[in-house]
Amino acid sequence: MSTLQCNRLCFHLKLAILWMFFSGAVFCIHVFASTTEVETNSDAGKFIMKSYFENYESLHDSSFEDFMAHQLSSSLCQGIPDNWNVGVRLSVRELSLIGEGSHRHLSSSIRLQIGAASIPKLPAHLCEVIVIQRLPLGVFADPFELQNPHKHKAFRDIAVFGDTNLELPSFQSNRSAVEFHIDAGSNILFMQNNGTEFNLLLPLHARYQPLDESGYSVVEIGEPDMLMRCSVEGKQHKQSCLFMSPPNEKTKSTSATVAWKIPAGMKAHAGFVSVITFVTALLSTLSIVYASMFWSGTKVSKT
Amino acid sequence: MISLKPRSILLISAIFRVGLILFGEWQDTHVEVRYTDVDYLVFSDAASLMASGQSPYKRTTYRYSPLLAFLLIPNSFTSRCWGKFLFSASDLFVGLFIRIILKQRKVPDDLCTYSMLIWLFNPFTFTIGTRGNCEPIVCAMILWIIICLNNGNVVQAAFWYGLIVHFRIYPIIYALPIIIFLDPCFFRSGTKPLLSDWTSDQGKARQINSELTDKCVVCDALKSTFTRSRILFGLISGTVFLLCTGFFFRLYGWEFLHEALLYHLTRTDPRHNFSIYFYHIYLNYERELSVLEKLISFLPQFIVQLVLILCFAKDLVFCFFVQTVAFVAFNKVITAQYFVWFFCLLPLILPWSNMKLKWKGLCCILLWMGAQTHWLLWGYLLEFKGKNVFLQLWMASLLFLAANTFILIVLIRHHNYGPVFRQHTDLKTTKTT
Repeated sequence: MSTLQCNRLCFHLKLAILWMFFSGAVFCIHVFASTTEVETNSDAGKFIMKSYFENYESLHDSSFEDFMAHQLSSSLCQGIPDNWNVGVRLSVRELSLIGEGSHRHLSSSIRLQIGAASIPKLPAHLCEVIVIQRLPLGVFADPFELQNPHKHKAFRDIAVFGDTNLELPSFQSNRSAVEFHIDAGSNILFMQNNGTEFNLLLPLHARYQPLDESGYSVVEIGEPDMLMRCSVEGKQHKQSCLFMSPPNEKTKSTSATVAWKIPAGMKAHAGFVSVITFVTALLSTLSIVYASMFWSGTKVSKT
Repeated sequence: MISLKPRSILLISAIFRVGLILFGEWQDTHVEVRYTDVDYLVFSDAASLMASGQSPYKRTTYRYSPLLAFLLIPNSFTSRCWGKFLFSASDLFVGLFIRIILKQRKVPDDLCTYSMLIWLFNPFTFTIGTRGNCEPIVCAMILWIIICLNNGNVVQAAFWYGLIVHFRIYPIIYALPIIIFLDPCFFRSGTKPLLSDWTSDQGKARQINSELTDKCVVCDALKSTFTRSRILFGLISGTVFLLCTGFFFRLYGWEFLHEALLYHLTRTDPRHNFSIYFYHIYLNYERELSVLEKLISFLPQFIVQLVLILCFAKDLVFCFFVQTVAFVAFNKVITAQYFVWFFCLLPLILPWSNMKLKWKGLCCILLWMGAQTHWLLWGYLLEFKGKNVFLQLWMASLLFLAANTFILIVLIRHHNYGPVFRQHTDLKTTKTT
């Protein structure tokens, strides 16, 4: 190929590439402009789990329940005698696991009820339902997947807290939790509400499980914890406070947990798998070495 | 076969890739299953972090040089497709470089065209760049290094080699064959090395080459181990590598060193992948492997690489190819993107293979794809159906290694081996015989 031909070809290639970039960029900018993106909320102060992890190193049920019972009490809505009289009730109507294999969706149906009794006059307010789904050791949620605008545009905010390492097996990882913030609407405490339902679909992924003789490991996922946060316009700045369903009034229409059966390696395989792996590697090595030395051209027979 | 001009092939390839990128954007927006590779999202996030003055390593699973994030910074302020266009453009350059390298060896036009088509219209390779995988950049740089070496341009080859090893650590396996390739019999000061042509690599040329090889082995052994070319190549590539690494270490500290370099050197992944070692690693993950076990798993790779280098270094492109196939096959972790590393070299060795497509070539293709599909089937049952098929999946990976080994041996068997260069005295030798 002559230098002139090569230069011509390079020139044409550069033209083709420039055309690619120009035309593609025009289209992509249009596509980019027309899609909406969910803004992940970087204001971590809004998130309850952020506060939890400021006080605790890792997620444990006992620590979390202690945190909910004591540390959040100062954030409960003040000036309302016995928070329960407002009649805010959050309950899980349905909890199920959808799909097969290592990638599934946790489906939760949350009901919000506002009772009629003794609702004091409140200024205009905006409320959001906060759902905290604690995940067991064997599964995780991908924080970057949760940013997918196609799936999660219904939520005001979503964030994952705890161990977000996507690659570690369960015996080398810690627990995590997903916190959803869902817009419940404005001035909802003024009126009785028999039940507003929110449906959550959380994509989950299984970690590699500890070895098990049965070949499977069962992971149980419990119901989420739920609160409602309402913001009212104060004299100087916005104030917000939390409503929690009283423990004895949490209604459970379904079983408390869902079980996920995940394949696990079997210890009984360890011995022969290692031996056969290394023997196979050795045989392949010897074959390639023999072929290379025999057919490399350094022993070509002279014609 | 309809004769296609190279510029037409490149133009059609460019249009096709633009179409795929646009289709990918549509699919990402409207369909649940994304077209874009998850790695591209990682690169883009890292580039956004870098654009805002932060470390790209704040993005979990970003395990590349900061150079890659730097190249993708325009994703943040022009179009998120910028990176895909960059990778696809590199893809086109690979096609062009394939032609240039073959033309350097005077391969006939029709074979050059076939070789370009094998790369540019291989479904595996054109989806790689358009989905946002960065491997085409690596392939383009490696082919450019080959072009520079063929032209005797050692300095430029060394520069790009240092850069590519910083960018992606695996090309370090090419260091020794390049050093051997810089044979003082061919690389002399002030003289451009003479390439041996494709037409002269058939039949009698084997005889001539084996005589030359005997003479030069003696010559090398005695006094030419440390030649100017070799020292220059080592110094320049080493300096470039250390400068890049040192610069980014200064900026991003140990996090850069660990994520971009050390992670790849020590990586073991218990999760299922094509490697025969995955199940062994998973079954023993809870305990520390002994030094002996680590050595045993490293030895096959080491021995194969050494033997391939010693046997084929003078035929540099073929050496690169067989080394890469073996490196991928014996690696502790194998993902599909690694296959691109040798796909870009395959079109360069085919003109020297006397294996016909019908039916040996076709059998090799079907065997490789069949072994891969077989593994994917078990992988699907494990990952998407939740069946415990670890044992079957592991056996499928053994079969995949067997298939790779068999195909490698067949390619070696059918390759018309010959050094890339010939001595200036060749002209006299050819005339007298």
